[in-house]
Amino acid sequence: MKQIALYGKGGIGKSTTAANLSAALAERGLSVLQIGCDPKRDSTRMLMHGSWIPTVLDQVREGREAAITTDQVVYRGFGGIRCVESGGPEPGVGCAGRGIIATFQLLERLGSLSGDVIVYDVLGDVVCGGFAMPMREGYAREVYLVTSGELMSLYAANNICKAIARLAGRVGGRCRLAGVIGNAAGQAGEEPLVRAFADRIGSRLVTFIPRDPVVQRAEINRMTVIEYAPDSPQAGVYRALAGSILENRDLVVPTPLSMDELESLALEYLPA
Amino acid sequence: MSSNPLPWSTSRLEGCTLTGALSVTAEVTDGVTVVHGPAGCVQHNASLIHATLLDRDTPHLLRILSSDLDEAGVIFGGEGALASCLGEALAGDPSAVFVLSTCIVQAIGDDVGAVCRREWGVPVIPVPTSGFLGGGFQDGMAGALVALGDLAGGEGGSGGGDRGGGITLVGEKNLEHDVEENFAEVTRLLALLGERPGLRFVRGSRAAALAGLSRGRLNILREPDLGPVGEAFAARFGTPYLDSFPVGLSGSLRFLGEVAGVLGLDPSDALEEERGRQVDALADFGDLRGERIALSPPPGSGAAPFAAEVAASLGLRIADGGTPLPCPSPPPVGTAGVVRLLHRWRRAIRA
Repeated sequence: MKQIALYGKGGIGKSTTAANLSAALAERGLSVLQIGCDPKRDSTRMLMHGSWIPTVLDQVREGREAAITTDQVVYRGFGGIRCVESGGPEPGVGCAGRGIIATFQLLERLGSLSGDVIVYDVLGDVVCGGFAMPMREGYAREVYLVTSGELMSLYAANNICKAIARLAGRVGGRCRLAGVIGNAAGQAGEEPLVRAFADRIGSRLVTFIPRDPVVQRAEINRMTVIEYAPDSPQAGVYRALAGSILENRDLVVPTPLSMDELESLALEYLPA
Repeated sequence: MSSNPLPWSTSRLEGCTLTGALSVTAEVTDGVTVVHGPAGCVQHNASLIHATLLDRDTPHLLRILSSDLDEAGVIFGGEGALASCLGEALAGDPSAVFVLSTCIVQAIGDDVGAVCRREWGVPVIPVPTSGFLGGGFQDGMAGALVALGDLAGGEGGSGGGDRGGGITLVGEKNLEHDVEENFAEVTRLLALLGERPGLRFVRGSRAAALAGLSRGRLNILREPDLGPVGEAFAARFGTPYLDSFPVGLSGSLRFLGEVAGVLGLDPSDALEEERGRQVDALADFGDLRGERIALSPPPGSGAAPFAAEVAASLGLRIADGGTPLPCPSPPPVGTAGVVRLLHRWRRAIRA
């Protein structure tokens, strides 16, 4: 079983990438489980044709934790992909990180963490130990950073590298950086910058996903690009990404940059 | 509460704010204390307090409730659980409710103060605790004392500047073994000046009685560590304070002089009587003169000068190989406390 986690700045397109990746993997006949680890609970929505599935923490909130069953938290979406949303508290209260931990404990208890591939789609930054849960022992060994060429996106990706390096250094820590997925924001010189960033942290650019209006059209129609426009070039990009990830054996402990190094790097690739 | 004589890290004084705060709030006889957090936090602290009271043969039922925060409360926020628990507490018709918070409540950012500020019909007072995150036992105790000052109203207090109240004892150590003996000794010394303690803030008190804090003429703190509490009440109610119960022989005389000074009394007769009492007390232990002893007061406890003074006044010789004698921390209160200690020293020397 291959377990991968996608991390990156909020709003950068992680969930879109994760859903299309899962769809591309499912097209290959693989059994895929996608887990959204974000209180926003929208990771799997396009796989579920726009439905907001009940979250794991909804069950906990209702006090049904002891009697919970797999079919109350795992829902089948496009291509038979099993979809799970952790959910979380309302903004400003409680502890979303603890919610992620509780979700993992519950899924473990239910025996739901199974299949050929598990894709963890995790909230923007590793703000606490709870959001590092997918990187812990027994879960995702392969972490992919999703980033655009915007400085703040690279900053968040660099922060996540720090978490990976820290967790990898622990006794028994098997979490590694598997690569960088560039997701274009549309700025000039973006792909070379993301590629250079990946090189500098000791990793590599796995795929650079260009901007394409078909992504937005697919989402308006409540589908992934793989389902909505299977013959589009963008669908081909996601399929290539799936292939690269399945074949990828290049796992490293990253070397995070200092803020000065990051800014200098961005300046190098800033258009004149 | 006496310090544990074991290594520092196990001292009860380094424990949780909850224990310190509960040692104060649980003494409000018609109040209820709500601990917002997991039930285990209440179980642990209430058990500790109950066991201590049992050890003193003075157990009583502690009026403490837990908001019983569970996994869902941690994830989604526990303010609802707190509000529900306050409703349960109010069903018992208490005169006041005191709300303590645990580590996890602080960690997840519950706004305990906002819940307490709702209209509950009786004072619902948040006590700054936050479990271990808020500090140790002493921080919890001091925080509870200041918080319970709310029952005395705002600046100037409910007395509106009326200083007709008496002398308030602030922060008695409700869990220490000699708490009543110490109270009796302070009462005896004050009587020499024609005074007596009024309010015990807080020991076996009703909530309404605590309002008298604002009218007191003098606050006497149990120990110097409560200095910030004395300062807070001085700023809020304009009440002067002494920073400690009397400690040692010279300390007891100094205490009389300081109380008299604040209250504008002539301490001459009281001092003469107390000096005579001390001379007589020491004479009863004249058989110990010249004994070789060893003293090992806990570092930083303030017991060292006290023990040295008692030893010197009896002509005891501190020497290597001398009989090791106990040096309790905090030191015993007043001349009576010295006498109790000397009985212990005599037993050790004659053993």
